Amino acid sequence: MTITRLKFRKSYTAIYAAIAVALLILTILNLILGSVIIPPGELLASLTGSEAPKYVNDILWNFRIPKVITALLAGVALSVCGLQMQTMFRNPLADPFILGISSGAGLGVALFVMGSSAFGLSIAGGLFFNLGIAASAWAGAAGVTLIILLVSHRLRENSSLLIFGIMIGSVTSAIITLIQYFSSSSELKAFVTWTMGSFSGLTNSQIWILSLLVVPGIVLSVYNIKELNILLQGEAYAKSLGLNLQATRRRILIATTLLAGSVTAFCGPIGFIGIAVPHIARLFFKNADHKVLVPATALTGAAIMVLTDMVAQLPGQSWVIPINTVSALIGVPVILFIIMRSKFS
Amino acid sequence: MNQANLILNSLSLGYDKDIYSRISASANYGEMVALVGPNGIGKSTLLKSIAAIQSFRSGEILIDAKNISAISQKVLSTLISFVPSQSPKALNLSVFDMVSSGCFNRSNWLGEANEEDKALVMETLDRVGLDGFAFRDSGRLSDGEFQRAAIARSLVQKSGIMLLDEPTAFLDIENKLVVTRLLAKLAKEEKRCIIFSTHDLQLAIKLCDRIWLMGRDHFTEGSPLDLIENGAFDSMFKDSGLKFDKTLYTFI
Repeated sequence: MTITRLKFRKSYTAIYAAIAVALLILTILNLILGSVIIPPGELLASLTGSEAPKYVNDILWNFRIPKVITALLAGVALSVCGLQMQTMFRNPLADPFILGISSGAGLGVALFVMGSSAFGLSIAGGLFFNLGIAASAWAGAAGVTLIILLVSHRLRENSSLLIFGIMIGSVTSAIITLIQYFSSSSELKAFVTWTMGSFSGLTNSQIWILSLLVVPGIVLSVYNIKELNILLQGEAYAKSLGLNLQATRRRILIATTLLAGSVTAFCGPIGFIGIAVPHIARLFFKNADHKVLVPATALTGAAIMVLTDMVAQLPGQSWVIPINTVSALIGVPVILFIIMRSKFS
Repeated sequence: MNQANLILNSLSLGYDKDIYSRISASANYGEMVALVGPNGIGKSTLLKSIAAIQSFRSGEILIDAKNISAISQKVLSTLISFVPSQSPKALNLSVFDMVSSGCFNRSNWLGEANEEDKALVMETLDRVGLDGFAFRDSGRLSDGEFQRAAIARSLVQKSGIMLLDEPTAFLDIENKLVVTRLLAKLAKEEKRCIIFSTHDLQLAIKLCDRIWLMGRDHFTEGSPLDLIENGAFDSMFKDSGLKFDKTLYTFI
């Protein structure tokens, strides 16, 4: 039928393919580059299971492949999360962390890291310690979401929900400052290291846990597409269509906690990606339809996160730049661009 | 029994206190109804209460003799559609996608309209004078075009009753006439019950079958001529010394 043909007159296959190719190239570069540069031939050999030097196998399979998988998951999760927040709050600067989800995670980690010595636990980075950080971050993030869910029916306006998130952030950072004041320097270092964000150091089982949380979050996000497209057109209209606003908000918040909460738990609070990537995707695709935007944002987010991680591991250097520093360098110009454009157009 | 299609029975508006009470009114399919009254009196609140976008304090609303509080939101959306005064314009959302969102309750889990509805959307765009606009960016339409797209979006909802909150408030004279005539045509030709709030009394008197008047102290409804005859419009602005001129259809 002609209408169907018209409807899909605009094909996005080319843009999707271009970003997918960029993602593939960035992923390969990410595997090659680092403090030790792996020659492409040996990379291929190791990946295909042929004969490769032991150091290549070690670096690749124990370090770089887990790291790049984590970066991919984090990129997809944070970006899709940011997209939903921006639509739900109809605020271009909303992101996974504006609601205080990362603050909650931070408080959880602070309590765990700086409180663990009080229970006589050693601060050394054992398995218990790593899992403890993740669990406490997740508990903190989920706790904040629970509070938001409980009060969301009282906060009718989205702006009040945003202010509520910022207030939660202020309270948690005040508490964290207080805890820091009473903690030892090694505890402080462990906490600060977590806040810098990192994709390395996740064990295979941790990556499995992360995927088992992120995948349902993505599935739920895809299921949210229909409602997101309505929310785009205002809440009064959404309600007049019979859309249950409370239930929709709840579903979106659950998806965002699954996505952002889990990534924050394992990788630390990674800023700016959640705000910036949806805008970059909108710039590429020029379509507000979430059927286009959700996959576009996921793909772009993965590519940008792998790039961020690659820059953070400046090739040939033995030290590493915190992920948050690089993500700020990529994200802040995008955010400034949005603000400037909305001011002058 | 000769009962009106939409009946408001001593309705009181408000959330935690009455902001306007004793509203009794009716309307029928095929009628165009103007809701007039001073600013801030509660015209939007009344429309939103009928559309169940917000709750009301007391009284009842009946559609075809059925109380709407007994009707689920989903079913209600097939009976009543609502066009907000200023819907947010979504940048890069095509007019087609915007209008087809009115098929929300019939579309698949991704919000994709079926073939029949896609055809309905295209045909509805023709009807509101937006043929050829389907793949334009709804965020870049002019105010008049956007308002007609919003009307199309509410038309594909296939509801018998359409509520519009100040549909012409931000339009120039030409677009104001285009939109109002379109509404009158939809009421007559498609037998829809169209209720819209407006400040343009002249236009309301000339084009509408019925006027709901939210006066300073009480609610009145009737045909434009009845209201003129019994001096109802004079009660609209009681304190300000404005007089309604019965020949010019306006305040002097």
